[in-house]
Amino acid sequence: MDEQFLIEKLRQGDEAAFREIVETWKNLVYNTALGILQSAEDAEDVTQEVFVQVFESIKTFKAESKLSTWLYRITVSKALDHLRRKKRKKRFAFIQSLFGAGGETVIEKPDFNHPGIVLDNKERAAILFKAIDRLPENQKIAFTLHKVEGLSYQEISDVMKTSVSSVESLMHRAKNNLKKLLHDHYQNKD
Amino acid sequence: MNEQKHIREEMEKTLESLNGIQRAAANPYLFTRIEARLEKEERSFWSRALTFISRPSVAVPAIVLTILINTAIFFEFKSEKVQTPQDEEQVFASEYNLSDNTIYESTIEPE
Repeated sequence: MDEQFLIEKLRQGDEAAFREIVETWKNLVYNTALGILQSAEDAEDVTQEVFVQVFESIKTFKAESKLSTWLYRITVSKALDHLRRKKRKKRFAFIQSLFGAGGETVIEKPDFNHPGIVLDNKERAAILFKAIDRLPENQKIAFTLHKVEGLSYQEISDVMKTSVSSVESLMHRAKNNLKKLLHDHYQNKD
Repeated sequence: MNEQKHIREEMEKTLESLNGIQRAAANPYLFTRIEARLEKEERSFWSRALTFISRPSVAVPAIVLTILINTAIFFEFKSEKVQTPQDEEQVFASEYNLSDNTIYESTIEPE
């Protein structure tokens, strides 16, 4: 079905159109969320949140950009909110543990294995994801959209509502930071 | 020297480890879960109403409006002339034609 037709149908509250939208774009949303959050459980949660928001705010979608661009934007925003919430919880639990209160124990994040990585690269990719997780938010988003979702710099600039040169700069800084982090990792390992 | 070269090679290989990555597939029952979530949200109408009210774009204008109305009412009452008990007596007296204090003197003709 045509994208514009689907949007119109959904605006009228058509359930079949909503199902079609979910089925067509669910992997795009899930994979993006998974790349940012590095947790299958959190990515599923955020994917649901994204489509709930699509259903509730389709009337405000002006169709100036592609539906996929709009979906990427919602996903990135929801995933970042999720990460911030988790960080706040983690900080709170840490403070609680300092004062001896019965807060949750702070557990170190396990290595993340993306299901779409070829077996030979699994170990290296886990090291890289750990480093990506330490990048500043904007660099992390640009790098993930480019490497995990395969978006071009132009598409990333549409999603992030910024210029292509800004994306280039973000990518350049992300790569430099990753090199430093990986250098430290391999130096400490040897 | 060799160690640094080895580290550089490892770094490059690791940076390239995401090449050829396949898109991860979402849960096949995702739509059913989203439907359940939407139904649950519909049920909690009051929680959504509270969320709406607590939005800064709604809450702040509402508070400002309340303050403005209260201020306007306060100044309106303040500017009104306050009636003293004496004024009330005069109104009462004029209403019942009691304003003449020498009622007996005015009705009894002097001989």
